[in-house]
Amino acid sequence: MGIEFGMEQVWVLPAIPAALFVVLALLNPLLPRRGDFLAAFGMAAVVGLVFLVLADYTSVFKDGHFSPGGTNVYSFDWVNIGQGFFTIEFSTYADGITMVMLPVVTIVALMVIVYSIGYMHGEARYGWYFAALCLFVAAMLTLVIAGNLIQLYLAWEGVGLASYLLIGFYWERQSAAEAAKKAFITTRVGDVGLLIGIILLWRATGTFDIQSILAAAQSGAIGDKYLTVSLLFLFAGAAGKSAQFPLHVWLPDAMEGPTPVSALIHAATMVVAGVYLVARFSPAYAEALVARDVVLYIGLITAMMAASMGLVTSDIKRVLAYSTVSQLGFMFVALGMGAVTAAMFHLFTHAFFKALLFLGSGSVIHATHHQEVENLGGLRRKMPFTASVFAVGSLALAGIPIFAGFWSKDEILHAALNDAPVAVYVLLTGTAMLTAIYTTRLVLLTFFGAPRDRHAFDHAHESPLIMNAPLAVLAVLATVAGFFAFDQVGQALGFPGGIAANVFLEQAHHFTEPDYAFAGMATLVSLLGIGVGWAYWHGDARRAVAARGWAPDLHALLVNRYYLDNLYQGIINRVVLGAGSVIAWFDKRVVNETGVDGGAQTVSYLGYRLKFLQTGRIPNYAFGMAVGVLVLALVAIGNS
Amino acid sequence: MIPLENFLVLSGLLFAVGLFGVLSRRSAILILMSVELMLAAVAINFIAFASYRDVEAFSGLVFALFVITVAAAEVGLALGIVLRLFRERRTANVDEASSLKW
Repeated sequence: MGIEFGMEQVWVLPAIPAALFVVLALLNPLLPRRGDFLAAFGMAAVVGLVFLVLADYTSVFKDGHFSPGGTNVYSFDWVNIGQGFFTIEFSTYADGITMVMLPVVTIVALMVIVYSIGYMHGEARYGWYFAALCLFVAAMLTLVIAGNLIQLYLAWEGVGLASYLLIGFYWERQSAAEAAKKAFITTRVGDVGLLIGIILLWRATGTFDIQSILAAAQSGAIGDKYLTVSLLFLFAGAAGKSAQFPLHVWLPDAMEGPTPVSALIHAATMVVAGVYLVARFSPAYAEALVARDVVLYIGLITAMMAASMGLVTSDIKRVLAYSTVSQLGFMFVALGMGAVTAAMFHLFTHAFFKALLFLGSGSVIHATHHQEVENLGGLRRKMPFTASVFAVGSLALAGIPIFAGFWSKDEILHAALNDAPVAVYVLLTGTAMLTAIYTTRLVLLTFFGAPRDRHAFDHAHESPLIMNAPLAVLAVLATVAGFFAFDQVGQALGFPGGIAANVFLEQAHHFTEPDYAFAGMATLVSLLGIGVGWAYWHGDARRAVAARGWAPDLHALLVNRYYLDNLYQGIINRVVLGAGSVIAWFDKRVVNETGVDGGAQTVSYLGYRLKFLQTGRIPNYAFGMAVGVLVLALVAIGNS
Repeated sequence: MIPLENFLVLSGLLFAVGLFGVLSRRSAILILMSVELMLAAVAINFIAFASYRDVEAFSGLVFALFVITVAAAEVGLALGIVLRLFRERRTANVDEASSLKW
């Protein structure tokens, strides 16, 4: 074999989409079809390379040559100030967590790009759309292989930028421009925390290298309280990016972007960056249990809140957005209990079924040009394929056995029962039931019942093959992704110890000691949720309307998103703009008018006064010179 | 021998007359003549000091020669300017030449 490709060359993965971004952005008008197939083939190549990396990872592990902690490929000193006082290395790091992220990011990205070729057909700025997607993938891959906090932070901002560009893709629309700003600014609030956390950790350890920091944290070289505070700041960044309470408000608005973008960035990849970050620092979080508890309870609050808001939202994409926020909450709950395996497993399965759901909703929007459930209904007769893959995704989300979501959600619930107060388990199970209810509601209102908008229904049609093919692939993955953790699957594919042990670092409980009673309970809860949803929303929407009358206050609370958006807007209007106007006054009056303009005006006024000394008459000047000479002479005489 | 003070008083008076002429006259020609008087006063000073301090040293005398040479050149230049001024303004009155101001 000629060129070896494996863990050492993992830096090539983000380099390919980065190069694609440059080519697509600069040479766009010259490329055939504006470069959409170029992007797709480039991404397919990256997927292929990811599998080479995966094979290398498992084979190296099998030979027993390296510890399962991963491999840190040191590349070069990027910045070096004061002989090692301040050093930033450029390094890549790949371990089990990275090995979960790489296929998730690249496979979903490939599916989304292929799907977009159909979905975005005929849109303005078609080429730029693919360029921005490539930019996003490059940043996201850099993020998951970063061995260094500064690299991670750069990539972190990079995905934020790509997200901003793509949410605001239809920037002619006021709401899209506002949503892009909201997403960027809200995540920015968290990012400041992340930066503070990075600086704090650097101050304590003198390095940005993640593994060195983790080693220092485990050896107790960082004080307990100091570590807790640093990790809380890191979690602020994670909460912003992963849309956790109280910074979750941007994600539903981010649905203003094109639907495939929502599938890639706001469901499968970018929003799990926070989960990735906390998972990456999980050894440190294990040393600071207060910080870990904060992660747990923030995750729990988010999961419950978002699921309840998903119940009343009428925009099909927003329902999915709340569902994403809620599922991310599940992941953080798992991380908060130290169940990194469960969190990463759920991240893995969630990426596939949620991308499937988003792309399915994209097909609906593409076919009907509506995304409010009031205008949908009965579409299963017009779009049978979309309806069936959407149903697969919904079953996975609701947690019905054999579908991917069941295995990972069960893993989290199991950890909750064992490692957390019983209230956490009860609330999580309740949230899982809410999930099943709103999922059922969404499916019923979209695909079942009588069409509520006859015109849209008549125009609806099944999507072209280029959109359906990615849906089919994702539907298969949403069904089987849960099996990857099985020992037997790993054995069959030739990895002794199973993929679970290799990739997820520790065995998922499910696949070592199946707990049928427990799994049966969880299934029952999900089925109950589906039953409740069916009882309410099948047939027509009258019962749903009646539910509003049953608890109008609660309904208003949910529809208004717990009034958090109003609260934030109020704070911005009163406090931020108030403080801003004081500062603006100071800047305008004191700094500008007194300082800058004042100085200039003084000089100008003096010049105006003094210019009259210049008479233009030679005798005056001569007189001045004579007086000057006299004075100098007198001074000279006086001094001698 | 005539004492040095006499020469200095003469040169001082000559300089004062020249300065008064420069400051009080309006005609450019008269101002130039007054300047010549001042230069002559300086030259007298040079020669007086040269012969009273050290007869062997010629630097004072050489300076006096330079002053005369420079004065000749300066008058040549200045008369050219005055001539231009007269051509432009039909007068040699320096009060009229006051356009170089704000």
